[in-house]
Amino acid sequence: MKNIWRNSLYIGKNMFRDISFSFWGLIYPIILVTFFYIAFNGLTNPKIETINLGIENGNDVASILEDIDILNVVEMSKEDAKKSLENEEIDGFVKEDLTLLVDRSGRDQTIIKSILDQIKQTVDLNEPLENLDFEVDYLKGKAQESNSILVIFYSLIAMVSTYGIFAGTEIVNLVQANLTPIGARLNVTPIRKSTFLTSGVLVGLFINILSNVLLLLFIKFVLKLDLIRSLGPSSLFILFGNLFGISLGIFIGASNKKSQSVKTMISITVTLFLSFLSGLMSPDIKVLIDSSVPLLGKINPIAIITNNLYRINLLNNTNNLSSGILLLIAYSLMLMFGSYIFLRRREYDSI
Amino acid sequence: MTVYKYFLKIALKHKWIIISYTVIFFILSIINGSATGKTETIFMEKSLDIGVVDESNSELSISFIKYLEDDNILTTMENDKEYIQEQIFLEAIDAVIIIPKDFENLVINKKESIEIMRDERKLGSVQVENEINKFLIFANATYSDGKFDLSKVENVLDREIEVEVLKVDDYKKDNGVNTWFKYYFNYTGYIIIAIYVAVIGLLMLEINDKNIQDRMKVSSKKFFKFNMEIYLGQVTLAILITSIFILGSVLLKGKYIAEINFSKYLLNIFTFSFAILGFTFLINNLTNSRFVINGISSALSLGTAFISGVMVPQEFLADNVLRIAKFFPTYYFVKINEMNTNSFLDIKYEIFMQVLFGIFFFLIGLYFSKVKRSV
Repeated sequence: MKNIWRNSLYIGKNMFRDISFSFWGLIYPIILVTFFYIAFNGLTNPKIETINLGIENGNDVASILEDIDILNVVEMSKEDAKKSLENEEIDGFVKEDLTLLVDRSGRDQTIIKSILDQIKQTVDLNEPLENLDFEVDYLKGKAQESNSILVIFYSLIAMVSTYGIFAGTEIVNLVQANLTPIGARLNVTPIRKSTFLTSGVLVGLFINILSNVLLLLFIKFVLKLDLIRSLGPSSLFILFGNLFGISLGIFIGASNKKSQSVKTMISITVTLFLSFLSGLMSPDIKVLIDSSVPLLGKINPIAIITNNLYRINLLNNTNNLSSGILLLIAYSLMLMFGSYIFLRRREYDSI
Repeated sequence: MTVYKYFLKIALKHKWIIISYTVIFFILSIINGSATGKTETIFMEKSLDIGVVDESNSELSISFIKYLEDDNILTTMENDKEYIQEQIFLEAIDAVIIIPKDFENLVINKKESIEIMRDERKLGSVQVENEINKFLIFANATYSDGKFDLSKVENVLDREIEVEVLKVDDYKKDNGVNTWFKYYFNYTGYIIIAIYVAVIGLLMLEINDKNIQDRMKVSSKKFFKFNMEIYLGQVTLAILITSIFILGSVLLKGKYIAEINFSKYLLNIFTFSFAILGFTFLINNLTNSRFVINGISSALSLGTAFISGVMVPQEFLADNVLRIAKFFPTYYFVKINEMNTNSFLDIKYEIFMQVLFGIFFFLIGLYFSKVKRSV
C-alpha cells in the first residue's frame, strides 16, 4: 500500500509537470465545450414565430385569417406581393381565388396551406354551420421538450470521461522495458510492475476525474447550462466511463509495440469514432444509428454514457441504469484481462 | 532532395496508421452524408414524422390514420411513455398521438379524444394539432343516426387549394444531389484539419526528434531549402489525402457530377487544403508535443467546424458566431460550398481569403522555425 502511494505521488508529479499532458486533459474539453456553446447558444431554445401572410386587397377570408394567432396578415396588391416574397417580408400570399403564392417550400408555407385548405374544405363539406364546432379542442396535450442539440454536449461529456485512455497508454508504456528507458530501469528494480501499474491507474483516474469535474463546473457556472440535474446517477456513469477509458488505454498500450505517438492517435481515433456514433457531431447521426443499427447504440460504451446522461437529467428516466453500468464494467474487466495477458511474464534477454 | 525523400520515407513507414485514420474519417463522412442527405430543399409540403398508438382500432381511428398518412410519415408505436419521450426529445419524431379505446365516444361527446405528446415550441406541433382537430371537427359534423360519414370527410379532405410557386431557384430544383455534395464537401472542412494536423504532426514529431534536429543543424543545408523540402513533402501527402476524399465523392455520387458545379468544389477543396497545410506547418513549428498537436487537431477541427457551418448550416448560426468564424478559413470554405455560382468571379473573395490565410500561416510557421533553429 505504501509503495502504491509513493509511486502514485511520483507518477502524479511527473504528469502534472508535463504541461502538454495537462493541456490535453484539463483545457481541451473546456475549449471544445466553449466552441459548442458559441455555436449552439440560441439554438437550444426554439420559439414559435408568427408567420407573415400577405392577402390580396378585399379578399373575404382576411377576417378569418386575422383571428388566427400565429398569422400576421397584411393586405397588399398582387404586384407588391411578388416583391415582398422575394424580399422575404412575407412567407406566402393569398390571391382572391384562395390560390396560395409562395417562393419556396417550408414549414411556414405548409401551415398556411393547411389553414387555407381547411377554409376551402369547410365550404366544400357543405354541412350546416351549427354542426361545425370549431371551438372544441379534441386534443389532450402533453408537452415534451425536444432538444436534440443537447445530445452533442452529453456526448462530449461522455467522450472526455473516457480520456483516461491517454494516461492508460502512458502508464503502460512506462512499465515496458522494450519501449521506454524508464521501463528498462523499472524492470531492474525490485518495484513490482503490478504495483506501479495500479498506481498509474489511480493517478490517471484521479487526473481525468478532476478534469471532468472542472468541465462540469465550467458548464454549470460559466456557460450556465443546467445539464447535470441528478448528480448521483450521472456521476456513476462518468466514473465508469473513466474506468473504461483507462482500461482501454492500458489495452492499447500493452497490445502493440507502436510508438507512443501512434498509440495516442489510435486512442483519439477510437474515442472520436465511438463519440461520433453517439451523436458528438450531430444528433441526426445518433438517430440514424438508433434506427438502422439499434444494437450499435446499445453496446457502444460512449453511447451508453451519453444516452443515460440525457435520460437521467432531462427525461427523468432512470430505467435500465444498471444494465449500462454492468456493460461498462464488463468492458473494463475484459480490457484489463486482455492487457494482463499481453503484459504478464515478460522477460528480456537484452534491451 | 534528401529531406523530402526522408519525409516520404517516414510517411511510408506509417502508411497503415495514415490509411486507417483516413479510412475511418472517410467512413464518418459517408455516415454523415446519409444522415443529412434527407434535408432537401426542393418544393414540397413539409411532412411530419408522427408516431401513432392506436388502442381503438375503430372505423374512425382507421380513417383518421389513413388521412394523416397522406401527407405525413407515420410510425406505429407501443404505448411506452419513456420511449416516446426520448423520440421527441431527440427530434426523431415530431409528435406522438395516442388514440384511446373509447375514441369514438369521446369524439361524439366533443371531449378530449386524442392524447398528443409534442414540443409546443415548434411550428410542427401547430401543424399536427390543426390537422387532427380539422379531421375530427369534420367527422363530427357528418355524424348522424349513430354513424360518421367518413367517405364524405375523406372526399372533402382530398380537395386542396392551388399553390403557385413564384420562382424556383436552380438549387431548389436539384432534387437533393447538390445538397449531398454540399454536405459532403462541407464535412471535409472538418476532416481535412483533423487529418492534416494529426497525420503530418505524427510525421513531424519524428523529424523534430532532438537527435535528428541536431544533425540537421550541423549540416550544410540551407534553412530555407530544408523548410521547402519539408513543405513539399507535406504538400505531396496533403494532395494524396485530399484526393482520396475527392475520389470518394466521385465513387459515391459520380453519375450526378454533370448536374452540379463540380469544378467549384474542386477548386474550393484544394484552396482550403492549401490554407490548412499552412496551418499545419505553423503548428508543427510551434510545438513538439504530441498532446498539443492532437489537442489542436481535435479541438480546432471540431470547434471551427461547429462555428463555421459544417455541422449546422450557417443560416442557423447567430451573426456573432459567424463573425468569430471569419477568423478561420473554414468559414470561407463552407460559404463557397453553400453558394450557387455562375462563374469564378462569384467566389473570388472567399478563395482569396483562404489563400491569404494559407500564406499567413506559412510565413508565421517559417518565422517560428527560424527562431527554433537559432535557439
